[in-house]
This record gives sequence, structure tokens and C-alpha cells, in this order.
Amino acid sequence: MRVLKQIWRWFDDLTGFSQSLGPIMAHPVPQARKTRWFYVFGSATLIAFLVQVGTGIALSSAYVTGSGQAYDSLRFITSSPIGRIIRGIHYFGASAMIILIGLHTIRVYLMGAYKYPRQMNWLTGAGLLLFTLLMAFTGQLLRWDQMGFWTAVVAAEQAGRAPLIGNWLGHFLLAGNTVGGATLSRFFAAHVFFLPALMFLFIAVHLYLVIFNGISEPPKAGRPVDPRTYRRWYHSLLEREGIPFWPQAAWRDVFFGAIVVLAIFVLALVVGPPELGKPPDPTIISASPRPDWYFMWYFALLSLIPKWSERWVIILGPLVFGLFLILVPLLGSRVERSPLRRPWSILIILSVVFVIAHYWVIGIRAPWSPRLDALPLPSSVVGVADGPIAVGARIFYDKGCEYCHTISGYGGIRGPDLSDAGDRMSPAQMATRIFSGAENMPSYRGNLKPEELASLLAFLASRHRMQLPKPPALQGLVQQGATNGR
Amino acid sequence: MQAFFFIAFPYIALILAIGVGLYRYFSHRFTYSSLSSQLLENRHLFWGSVSWHYGITLILVAHVLPWLFPQVAEAVLGDATRLVVLELTGLALGFYCVFGIIVLIARRLPNDSRARAVTSSMDWILLLVLAFQVLSGVGVALFERWGSVWYLSTAVPWLWSLVRLHPDASTVTGLPVFIQAHLISGFVVILLFPFTRLVHVFAIPIEYLWRPYQVVIWNRDPRQPVSSTSAKAPTVSMPTPAPNDLDRRRLLVRLSLLTGSVSAAIVGIPSIAFLLGLRKAPEVWRSLGAADSFQIGQAVEVSFLDSSPLPWSGVTARTAAWLRRESPEQFIAFAINCTHLGCPVRWLPNADLFMCPCHGGVFYKDGTVASGPPPKALVTYPVRVRDGMVEILTSPLPITSI
Repeated sequence: MRVLKQIWRWFDDLTGFSQSLGPIMAHPVPQARKTRWFYVFGSATLIAFLVQVGTGIALSSAYVTGSGQAYDSLRFITSSPIGRIIRGIHYFGASAMIILIGLHTIRVYLMGAYKYPRQMNWLTGAGLLLFTLLMAFTGQLLRWDQMGFWTAVVAAEQAGRAPLIGNWLGHFLLAGNTVGGATLSRFFAAHVFFLPALMFLFIAVHLYLVIFNGISEPPKAGRPVDPRTYRRWYHSLLEREGIPFWPQAAWRDVFFGAIVVLAIFVLALVVGPPELGKPPDPTIISASPRPDWYFMWYFALLSLIPKWSERWVIILGPLVFGLFLILVPLLGSRVERSPLRRPWSILIILSVVFVIAHYWVIGIRAPWSPRLDALPLPSSVVGVADGPIAVGARIFYDKGCEYCHTISGYGGIRGPDLSDAGDRMSPAQMATRIFSGAENMPSYRGNLKPEELASLLAFLASRHRMQLPKPPALQGLVQQGATNGR
Repeated sequence: MQAFFFIAFPYIALILAIGVGLYRYFSHRFTYSSLSSQLLENRHLFWGSVSWHYGITLILVAHVLPWLFPQVAEAVLGDATRLVVLELTGLALGFYCVFGIIVLIARRLPNDSRARAVTSSMDWILLLVLAFQVLSGVGVALFERWGSVWYLSTAVPWLWSLVRLHPDASTVTGLPVFIQAHLISGFVVILLFPFTRLVHVFAIPIEYLWRPYQVVIWNRDPRQPVSSTSAKAPTVSMPTPAPNDLDRRRLLVRLSLLTGSVSAAIVGIPSIAFLLGLRKAPEVWRSLGAADSFQIGQAVEVSFLDSSPLPWSGVTARTAAWLRRESPEQFIAFAINCTHLGCPVRWLPNADLFMCPCHGGVFYKDGTVASGPPPKALVTYPVRVRDGMVEILTSPLPITSI
């Protein structure tokens, strides 16, 4: 112990760390009192980032950046027990980072901590939020299984909607005409070198600004920010009741960060990394690309907006979001900070959180996706083994109807549930719909022979609301109740 | 006549320019200057002088460099885009010069202008010759296009023949008259050098960059420092610089920024160029198998190598397509990518439909949109039958753009 101390003294004598960095560590920060635990999200995001750096370096030591080999190298990594855990930590670390940076953004926004003089703190933070999302996106792609492959294609297609340069931009992302040998290297370079370098830079500036401008004091309703006097007031506040950041405030950061790391580790151990899908072979066409959970809501959003608005939303949506982040600190950077005096900020956050949660839930169900893995209806559903109704049920499957329409719990949910079609529509109405199609239903004119149509209509007409079989003993009662009710 | 203008006259002009120039340098050294009239008048001079000098310097560089390195120039101009860009830039600079010389002439015109009072007849001659020179240059650029290319095979050999003392004007004697006028008046300008203020070209004070600083004493502080509103005071205070030191400091700052940016550009530009450089893959025909192995009317999935497979591409070098034999001789191939967001569409053989698993886009068997979000029909690849084999043309991943 004494030796260690001596070594430290010798080191400190030569570097002067305790003189230069010591005061920075112990710089006074305002007391946060009731809200003190809200201040931990930023540091926790940083800790999650460091987790990503560590596990990322470990993964990159075995990952092969080749479109042909990356998948196999990931299989190899996952096959070793520790490699599996590392991959799990990297995945849940990414998830934690997304959640934490979201919470941190919400906290800063609600508490008005982006107002004078901390606008630049917010702007660098907005950059970090953007980079984190890009990291999540490129990271999902680096898994380079079938999902990763189609993620690259979908990314290129979305970039293709940019006006004028769209086509060029799409092929630029793919690093060529098609997804091929150069594509993965491009995303690897972005995920491992380019974006992390930018993030280190922005984190350095962000932390410097936190020290330079000081950590924001908890807002108080009725105490507006006045740029002319704020800094002087803030310094007098620190002199009156400041506490040293290290350790009196920082211990919470360490404690919460440790919980985050522990949670990541336990999840990695128990749940494990996302399974690798099929290999990234463009010729395996039975693929249904889905994003990872953090982009599920965006996937849903793009699927549910009106068709005409899509070309605008794909390009303008992210731009408007970015513009919003930039404008937040530029507009209204003075006056009140307290959320109690900024009801709109609460409303905005609530709507954003609600919309994302809502779309996220829908995204998991993905009702807009046909179920191409649906199986022919079992005879228990059809009701008969042969005859026109059974033939019609077969046609219902063969013509792809079942991929979008549910019958008694079987089939897709893109179109209306047809379990009780016979109760709702006459055969003539059904025939009209089948022939004319609709916005989201193809027209089957010329596709069905008359006898096929007849069987299909017979089948659909036989679909009625399910009749629950009633125990004979109760039958009388039910009938009696029904009569009484009338 | 042409022998005089293109062989004798250039030598006369050069000899006079050098001889008289040397004589003037040693006898009237202090006249080696532009005889600046800046103290007399400022506004017009700025617009005229800046436009003129920037424009003419770059244009002269564009004349001299291809003359010195004709092969390099030929290689550079071999590409149509570069040629057009260079020609347009040159033309723009030409107009810039014309504007400049017009302003420079106009400012001397008014009878009562101070500039007129100091204008000698030699100045007028020089201005007129220069004006003729740039106007004819712009005229050449406008009416005898692609001068940067034919310059290499006409004027450049002639100029080199003059340098080698084996004058040969055969490459320029056939040129249109006004191009010849441009060439000759160029030598008139050279001739005028020692007789006019043009000599200032040889007196550019580049030693300003490294000369020791001068002490300039102002009666008042010319740059009142803006009072700082920042709450933070610098932790380490530097000795207050003497005002005369500021100029030197500013120069050093600019020099450092300049060298730093140049170094960054040297490394950055190739890096970015490499990143942006898309490999233009050639389109090639790939065989898909014997034509007779495909049934008429049925779409089947076919796969083939893309046009530029790399050794490490692995399975990703493959491309898939839906191929259908329409008639014994006719095939049609659809990209598997949905035109909505690129997901792989599937062929439903019994329903005669293509369906996308992502957002439920549906296409009829001819590729047109049946329903759902796709904005346009499935993309088709060119297919042909050759020697009984079906062949497909590798094509880029179809990207729907607006």
C-alpha cells in the first residue's frame, strides 16, 4: 500500500495531475436536492458508450470485415461462451445507450437546462444523439445476416428518395452498383472509425462545456434566466451552497452507472445476443426484413403514413427532427426554465413518448405485412372436407387471400378479418370487391375462372360468426334469458 | 507579311523588352513600379484593379502552363467534363478581366478626374492594347470554341519553335485573322513592358513575406480592443503585445492557418476522393441456363454473379431475379426488389402475383403495381437468348428515386 502511494506521489510529481485535474474533479456544483437522481443519465450514457468501446474493440479483434466472411466470423464469435457474452453486452449496451441518451435528452429538455448559457451543450448533445442513432443503425447492419443485408438495401432505397442526388447517394451507401464486397467495409469503417471518432470529439467538447458552463442548477418556477446576470448569479450560488462534484455528487453517477452495467451484463448472460438469421445471400428471397427494436417505431411510422406523404416523410422527417433539435436552444433560450412554467414542453415530450411507444407496439405486430408463412386452412375451420366450400377454401389460400385476411385466427391481418364475411356481405358485394380490388388489394379480374369464383364465394358466404356450442343443460336457460331480455 | 509578324516581330518584341527593360532597371530603377494612383482615388480602382489582376493572373497561368507542359494539358483536357469546366472557368475569368479593364479605363476618362491628370499617353496605349487583348481573347473563346485544345496544336508548337530558335509559323498561319491578331498583340504587350508601368510585374514585393517587421506608430490605437464581456479571465496572462507586433502576429497566424489547411487538403482530398470514387462496374451478360429448361408462363427465381464480384464478396456477389419464359423465344426478368423500399418480392405461382413481405406491395405478373405502397412497376433486367442459352444483363440495384 505504501509502495503504491509512493508510486502515485512520484507519478503526480512528474505529471501534476492532482494540481491540474484535481480541482476540475472537485469543482463545485449546485445542490440538486429533490431532483438529484435525475442528473445521472448523462454520465450513464457515457458509461454505456465506454462499455460499447470496450466490447467493440474485443469484437473487432475477431470480426472479419468481408461481405463473404463476416457472417461466419460472427458465428465463430458466438460459438465461444465469452464471445457470446461480449456480443450480448454489445447489443444490450447499445440498447441501454439509446434509452439513456433519450432519458438524458428528455431530462435536459424538461428542466430547461439547454437555456443560456448552455445552448452549445445542447447542440453538441444533439450531435451525439444523431451519432448514437447512426451507430445503432450501422451496428445492426454489421450483424450481416439476412436482416443486415436487407438493412443495407432498405437504407439505400431510403437515401434514394433524396431529390436529385438520391440515386447517387443510394449507390454511394452500397459502395457500388449492388450490395457486394465493398458494402460491408463501408459500414464497418463508419461504425468503427468514423462515427466513434466524431463521438469522442463531441464528448470531449460536451464535457468541456459541462465544466465551463457548470452543471445547471435545478429550475425553479418564477426564476427566469437572464443572460446579463446569470453567470454572476450562478457563481454566487456555487459560492453559497455548492458542493464538490467529486465525490459528493459523482457517487450517484458511479452508483447508477454500475447498476446500468450490471443490468447489461445480466441481460447479456440470461437473454444473450440477438440470434443470427440466415446468411446474407441475396438469392434467399424468403426474407422479411425488420429493424432492431430501437427503430421499430420508425418502421411503423413509415408504414402507416399516407402513401402520398411517404416520399416527403422519408427525407423531410429526419431533417425536421434535426432542425427541431437545432432550433430548441436557439429559440426561447431565455426566460423560464421550470417545466411548471413551460406546459408545452411537457406536452411535447408526452406526445413524443406516446407516439413512439404507440408505433413501437404496432411495429411489433406489423399489421401491414402480409403473412407469407400462412398455411392452408385446416378442415376444422373450413367445416367440410369436400364440395365447393372446401375448394373455395383452397382457392382462398392459393390466390394469396389468406396472406392478408384472417379466417378464424389463421392468416394475415393486413386486410379485414373475413371470419364472419358471410354475415356482413352478400356474394355480389364480395364479387365486386374481388374484381375491383382496392388501395391495398389487387384486382383479381381475369385471374379467377368462373367456377373458381363460385367456389370462393361459396366459401366466403359460409363464414359466420362463431357459434359457441352450448351445454344442453343450459340451453333452456339461455333461451329463457334471451326471451326475458326482449 | 506573316513571316514578319510571326517570326521577326516576336523576336524584336522580346529583344526590346529585355534590352530596354535592363537599361531602364539600371538607369531609372525607381520607375520599376506600378506608379500607383491609389492615393488619389480608391473606389473605382478597387473594383477595376482587383477584378483585372485576379482575372489576368489566372488566365496567364492558364496560357503558360499548357505551353510548358503540353502533354499534361492534353491528358487533363481529354475528359469532356474537365474540358467544359475549364473552358467555362476561363471564359468567366475573361469576362472578369473585361469588366476590370473597362472600369480601369473608365476611371481615367472624366476630364476632371484626378486619375486623368496623371495618365500619360503610354498609359492610354497600354490600356487600349490590354483591352484589345482580353476582348479578342474572350472573342476567341466565344466564337472559336475549345481553344484550350487547339491551342496545344497551333500556338504551342509555334511558341516552342521560337524558343528553340528554329522559328516555324506553319501551325498558326492558317488560323482565322482575329486569332492571329490575338497572338500578335500578345507580343505587342511584351514589347510594351519596358516602356510602360507594366514593369511592375517584375517588382512584386514578395519579400514582404519575410522582411523584418516595421515599426508603425499611430497617434491613436487603430484597433481599439473590444471590451470582453466574458466572465472568465484568462488564467495565464501574456505580456501585452506592442501594437506593431500585432501585424506580424496576424501574418504568422494566417500563414500557419494556410500551411495547416494545405497540409490537411493534401491528405484529405485523396482520402475523400477515394471514399467517393464509385467503381463503375461494367455491365456484362451472364448465362442463366438453357432456354429450354424454363417452362413457358412460370416465373422462377434465377441467380447470377453480379458484374464485379470481389474475391471476398462471398454469397453477396450473387444477384437474384424472377425470370419468366413468355414464349419459346421471349423471356422477361424482374428485379426481386420491391420498388417501395427494396424488400425481396415473392412470386405466388397460383395467384399470378408478386407480393412483398415488408409492406404488402403487390404486383401483377407483368410487373405493374396491383396494390399497396410501391410507387412504380417492378424493374426489369435486359434478357436475351443466344445459342439456346438465356442470358441476363447485370444491372445496378434498382433504387426508386423521385
